[in-house]
Amino acid sequence: MNTSESLQALRRANPRAKAGFTASAQAAADAVRAQLVTTTAELASDGGAPGPRRRHADPRRRLARAATLGVSLAAAAAMAAVLTVGSPGPGVGTAAAAVKQAATVTAAAAEHSGTAVVRITHNGKIWAGTTIRWRDKDLAVSRDGPGRHGRAGSELLVVDGTLYLFDPADGGWVMAGDPGSIDPDSGTTPEEYLAAVGEDVGGATLRRITDGMTGLTSRQLGDGSTVYSGAVAAGLIAREAGVKGGQPIRVLPFGNVAHDEAADPAALLQVAVTVGGDGVIRQITVTWGTSASAWTYTVNYSRLAATSAPVAPEGARPLRDRLRGSA
Amino acid sequence: MSEGERERRRRFEALFAAYSPDIVAYCGWRADSASDAQDAVAEVFLTAWRRLDALPEGDAARVWLYATARRVIANQRRSGRRQVALYQRLALDAAVVAQPPPSPTREEALVHEALGRLGRRDREVLLLAEWEGLSPAQIAGVLGCLAITARGRLHRARRRFRTVFEDLLAHDAADQPRREASDVARTPGSPVQPRP
Repeated sequence: MNTSESLQALRRANPRAKAGFTASAQAAADAVRAQLVTTTAELASDGGAPGPRRRHADPRRRLARAATLGVSLAAAAAMAAVLTVGSPGPGVGTAAAAVKQAATVTAAAAEHSGTAVVRITHNGKIWAGTTIRWRDKDLAVSRDGPGRHGRAGSELLVVDGTLYLFDPADGGWVMAGDPGSIDPDSGTTPEEYLAAVGEDVGGATLRRITDGMTGLTSRQLGDGSTVYSGAVAAGLIAREAGVKGGQPIRVLPFGNVAHDEAADPAALLQVAVTVGGDGVIRQITVTWGTSASAWTYTVNYSRLAATSAPVAPEGARPLRDRLRGSA
Repeated sequence: MSEGERERRRRFEALFAAYSPDIVAYCGWRADSASDAQDAVAEVFLTAWRRLDALPEGDAARVWLYATARRVIANQRRSGRRQVALYQRLALDAAVVAQPPPSPTREEALVHEALGRLGRRDREVLLLAEWEGLSPAQIAGVLGCLAITARGRLHRARRRFRTVFEDLLAHDAADQPRREASDVARTPGSPVQPRP
């Protein structure tokens, strides 16, 4: 037997050469498509909470597989968003299901990269602002509210696992190293802060807020987007992040301290979620307070899956050098 | 939805329609189980969707998908979580795979035996060429090596396959009389037929 004959035998054993291969491959591709769409629909309908339906063989199999084998549910939802584009009707029967599905789709889109612009106003005036850009594990945070610009901690970057801080004292960047190696002695460590932001840019915070919405109403806007409005317990929006002066500190997504009712976990805050025509959340607005002290917290999402990676600043000084210089 | 987004989705749908059978086939023989293969296909196209803007055009997109599938399957194998879910998955797979796979012909069984005796790298390069129909340059794109390296690996893999396959064929031919006698003995009431 020569090489050609042995290769002929190999080629005859090619699964593609078998009768019916094309049909079965197409069926497998369709199954993948259906798996992803169904997984998303199930998540949207039951909010991802454990329940009796989860005991049914096929959904459990799909969910277990998605969760354990690297096909994250959020990523699955991204595909589903593509495959179900333009046909939101049958899969989304209620406003609750629609807003949950939007959260899942947005989380999927945000998984890779995105930009979130956070604005807090008090009595109509800007009180705080933060812009967060992320791409994979890299992150850029810029606090640009009034009085923040130029202050220590107003800008930070994480690039390839290294934390860079803007040092207003000499107008340059300091390379602080691994965020996990920094212990500021008190308050939130950089690692804790970054972990919280990671949760906020991922799907956990979005899902927690949208899952908790009650009394939902919706209205269509002229640009094809839909605003879903409802009430959410403040405890689902502002999480406890430490204690100061014997009082727990509650922090809004992306790191601003909550005040007034927002600091009371049982208080109901008004939430409006704007979902674009493509099913992706564009904006979340939370309002609370009274006419004497009215607060608005807004997150605008943009450039999801299309935000460029932050770049390590040139000429950043190692933290040790900076400390030696100031000693 | 903007025209740009519509175009992006059209492109993705075209990519899925054109190449999903290829990726299903590739993951079918590369992954450890049918469900792993299905997961890998899903992951490949999710990655394609996320990186659609960076995806090359035309046939290079196919190579990109193969290379991504290769990495996805490698990640599956590395994943510790996979071990945790093993028992559950085996039980579920057993329930899903109700029908036994069709019996291969003797030649196919020998081909699979020979492939099993090759090194992983030889098997991969050989099947990318012979089953997936990729050129050495395309294989180089999948494996992330130079075309000349891929060509050399393919040459050596073909030679080793031939050696192993011929060896198996020779042993199989030697075993044939005993196998036939055994088959006859297992069939009650079958008369023993003289060999031609």
